[in-house]
Amino acid sequence: MSAATALYLYGVTWADAARPQAGAGVHEESVEAVPYRQLAGLTSAVESTKVPAKRRDLLRHAEVLGTALVHGTVLPLRFGVVFENSTTLVEDFLSPRYAELVQLLRKFEGRVELSVKAYFREEAILAEVVHANPRIARLREATRAASDTSTYPLRVELGERVAAELQERTLRDRQVLLDRLSRLAVDVQVDQEPIEHQVLGASFLVDRERVAAFDDAMNKLAQEQAPRMHFKYLGPLAPHSFVGLSAEAG
Amino acid sequence: MAIATHGTASNYLQRAPSPSGLADVVELILDKGLVIDAYVRIAVIGIELITIDARIVIASVDTYLRFAEAVNRLDLTQTEAAGLKELRDGGGNGDGKAKGMAEGAKDALSGDGDRQKERAERG
Repeated sequence: MSAATALYLYGVTWADAARPQAGAGVHEESVEAVPYRQLAGLTSAVESTKVPAKRRDLLRHAEVLGTALVHGTVLPLRFGVVFENSTTLVEDFLSPRYAELVQLLRKFEGRVELSVKAYFREEAILAEVVHANPRIARLREATRAASDTSTYPLRVELGERVAAELQERTLRDRQVLLDRLSRLAVDVQVDQEPIEHQVLGASFLVDRERVAAFDDAMNKLAQEQAPRMHFKYLGPLAPHSFVGLSAEAG
Repeated sequence: MAIATHGTASNYLQRAPSPSGLADVVELILDKGLVIDAYVRIAVIGIELITIDARIVIASVDTYLRFAEAVNRLDLTQTEAAGLKELRDGGGNGDGKAKGMAEGAKDALSGDGDRQKERAERG
């Protein structure tokens, strides 16, 4: 890596848990630990600070952190943070932020992030809405045959009522899912962006020894809700959704 | 991403160990994680090409017309018992297949061919 002019940083871990990862990093560079007292930055030498980020590199950033998590607690960085070299990494980041980083690592010791997403199955949830709301059922009958200008106001009303029902069911079912899962978690971050048919998008901070119990709860939910929802369940992840530095301006 | 199996209750939904789809990775490592403001960030050329196909719900006439159309397309003879069934026995026939290989909520829009299998098993 004689051409290396910059140092890419994936995350920060305990020095005694840091392991090199040959060829696993961005641009297929190796991952090396830069230790500082009890801490270590997980880094790769890269050729320039201007290299393009490819799909493969995004995946590798996540994979490097996933591998590091197997060996110990890790504080994940957002994609794309680069230092000039290992000296500046220590002098500008690991040293001045030492106490804070140690505190964060202790806070996340033995804990992992689990990501849960739940989506309504469109056909099933719309059928529910039609059956539950007589006005919607009637509007549907009235507009089914003709989607021309004569039914336009009715179709707008139909859609508006459907949207309201979906919103209500989303909020209600989101709370049900959160109630079932939150009690197994130390912390939870709920995505508030209203994605169509997404009932829940949330990250849970979970003690490692409770991951199996969380799996069981997820399995039960997925089974119960199978006719009307499907799930995405991801983890264990480094605590991406829960880390933060004070006075972070990012 | 979750890959549900045609398995037992104890293994109904499998936890995916790491993000495999671009949308999940982007969400995880471009939106979340420690940021150190003072330092160089790699020029993320190409990121703008990534569109996460998750439709944000916006209250608009267009959205309403789309929902109206979706409701009108429904074949209620096929889906009639869904609401009841969900409460009664919660499935258990492998219907939890996550169509999650596509990004975002797009997969949730892709319909649900599993209903027929479920009806068949109900007899």
